[in-house]
Amino acid sequence: MIDLVEALRNHREKIVNRWVEYTLSTYKSSSFFLKERDAFANPVGGNTRQALERLFPLLAENADSGEFTAPLEQIMRIRSVQEFTASQAVAPIHAVKHITREVLAADKQTCGLTNDLYDFEFAVDLAVLAAFDIYMQCRERLYQVRIKEIKSGAHILTDSRCPTALLKDIGKEGSEKVESH
Amino acid sequence: MAVPKLEQLSKSVVQGPSLATGAIPTRDWMDIPVVFKEGNYAYPAKKDKVEYLNSQKGLHFPNARVWSPEDDDWKLPENWKEIILSGLKERLEKFRSLKIFMDCCVRCGACADKCHFFLGTGDPKNMPVLRAELLRSVYRNDFTLAGKIMGKMAGAREMTVGVLKEWFMYSYQCTECRRCSVFCPYGIDTAEVTMMLRELLHLVGIGINWILEPASNSNRTGNHMGLQPHTFKDNVDFLADDVENLTGIKINHTFNRKGAEVLFITPSADVFAEPGLYTAMGYLLMFEAIGLDYTWSTYASEGGNFGLFTNNETMKKLNAKMYAEAKRLGVKYIIGGECGHMWRVLHQYMDTMNGPADFLEVPVSPITGTVFNNAASTKMIHISEFTADLIKHGKLKLDKSRNSHVKATYHDSCNPARAMGLMDEPRFILDHVVDWVEMPENTIREQTFCCGSGTGLNTDEIMELRMRSGLPRANAVKYVQEKKGVNMLSCVCAIDRATLTSLMNYWNPDVRVCGVSELVGNALVIDGETRGDLEDGLRTML
Repeated sequence: MIDLVEALRNHREKIVNRWVEYTLSTYKSSSFFLKERDAFANPVGGNTRQALERLFPLLAENADSGEFTAPLEQIMRIRSVQEFTASQAVAPIHAVKHITREVLAADKQTCGLTNDLYDFEFAVDLAVLAAFDIYMQCRERLYQVRIKEIKSGAHILTDSRCPTALLKDIGKEGSEKVESH
Repeated sequence: MAVPKLEQLSKSVVQGPSLATGAIPTRDWMDIPVVFKEGNYAYPAKKDKVEYLNSQKGLHFPNARVWSPEDDDWKLPENWKEIILSGLKERLEKFRSLKIFMDCCVRCGACADKCHFFLGTGDPKNMPVLRAELLRSVYRNDFTLAGKIMGKMAGAREMTVGVLKEWFMYSYQCTECRRCSVFCPYGIDTAEVTMMLRELLHLVGIGINWILEPASNSNRTGNHMGLQPHTFKDNVDFLADDVENLTGIKINHTFNRKGAEVLFITPSADVFAEPGLYTAMGYLLMFEAIGLDYTWSTYASEGGNFGLFTNNETMKKLNAKMYAEAKRLGVKYIIGGECGHMWRVLHQYMDTMNGPADFLEVPVSPITGTVFNNAASTKMIHISEFTADLIKHGKLKLDKSRNSHVKATYHDSCNPARAMGLMDEPRFILDHVVDWVEMPENTIREQTFCCGSGTGLNTDEIMELRMRSGLPRANAVKYVQEKKGVNMLSCVCAIDRATLTSLMNYWNPDVRVCGVSELVGNALVIDGETRGDLEDGLRTML
């Protein structure tokens, strides 16, 4: 009888593939995102696959949850600016619980191990919580980027009225000329 | 094998109006309406701007009104459909290319996955073939026999308000970057389809403010910012002062000087907004270093041309000031600064629209004697061509170590790369001024990915959309950042300098953005300089 660690290792490819498939099925054109393996021609598919491939062994090995951050950022930074609600953005992280349980149950050799998944599923819970944090950080960063751009002076492109008043605002110090907006 | 809990998970999160439906669409694309919500559309043009433009000679922007994409009623003129269809008819007769593009697509799909909007959103209507189909379906319905007889079976559909709304959504989710055209076996220029969609929409008073206000400013004062001559002059003077403070080199620039050999025109963002300012400082330094006999113009104070994003009449009118000013000042030829779409207009349309410029001479570098025969017709050369030629002839003294704080990569701005073939000159310059590396092959040169915010989409209310569409570019930058230690994204486009800055701030916060001429300015060694150790080049705060 194999133990859970070995079972997860053996089924890793199958689980991750189904996890990637599920995650990419949240896009309208999922077939292209799944098919194209060049990460530069297909950044959503490429980053999703890479992130989940990195994340799965960390979950399986009960790694420190701090280690989840890098792979989670890779996927959440993308999903945070796409047309998802917060729950839609995060949900695929959760999905690995169900996929793993199903894959183990379908194999005679591993079906008895589904009762031992508590620690693994707890790790997934932690990853989901971390994903929410990262989602929020990304949203906040997005708004910061927007504020920074407005402050950079580009808004004057459309909001300016009187260029002479603008000149007054520019100030006498050369180095202050843009920051002052 | 279905996982019951997983299905439940999908169901629980797919509610609410979202494009991400969590499933393969079961309806035909024609039957899926567009949904406008805050963040997925750019704000409509202000009524007074549209009225102003419509009042100007040679321009046609009728049906000005207050409207909102989120409202059901867009307050279209009563005969809107007639206006659209006769507008389409007129354009099919006027532009042979449009007629061909409407007829010859075989829907092979080569373009489908090449669009950065599609790659970032996964929305099928952002596949260039389908975006064009939005117009083609109406064309088939009203202008082809097959469509008239077979209707939907032949891919035809009637022009409705829903179709119009779809046009607005997707013609403003295209940056006319033309990457798709590179892959089209028939050479269909999908950007021109977008241009036609936007032209038709303007006929019924549908346009966005971020484009029409700069266009109206340009018509009024010559530049996007609406800067009057004294303000424009003062800004350039400020930059010259900064250069002098940093390097000890006094800049002897002039404005509107008759009899100068060269007229220099650049995007106004270069003299106004960060980080373009540093690029402009680079221009000033280099022209000073070689003693070029040139002048700035406070009238032709804008290289950019937002007319390109509205209609051909506006593009022509805004472009006309370049030749008009060159003629008035009596210069021999024009040098253009680092700009993207400006070069598309100059290279592809200017000669036809406002030429021939027979009062100008074929550009000859006064320093090297090189004749720029490539510009024999337009009489206007790109600053990178000019600079690369100087370097090639050993006319610039450059110290690469002055850019040792920079590890650069180079973003081919869509228009210079794909619309004028300017790919090697900036690279040649970079070789001589900075340590730099290329991004992956399928993201550079003619395959370059757009910044995601071109064609007037660089407005902050659609920041999310811009981040999505800029993902393919940012993804390639991230790669060279992680693998090669890149900390600077250089480019030759003013819109890029602004938009890539925001893009990097979201995706790769440790990468800054600069113009190639800024790096030249950093590296230039000039007789008489008193430049100390500028640890951040021309950006160093003293």
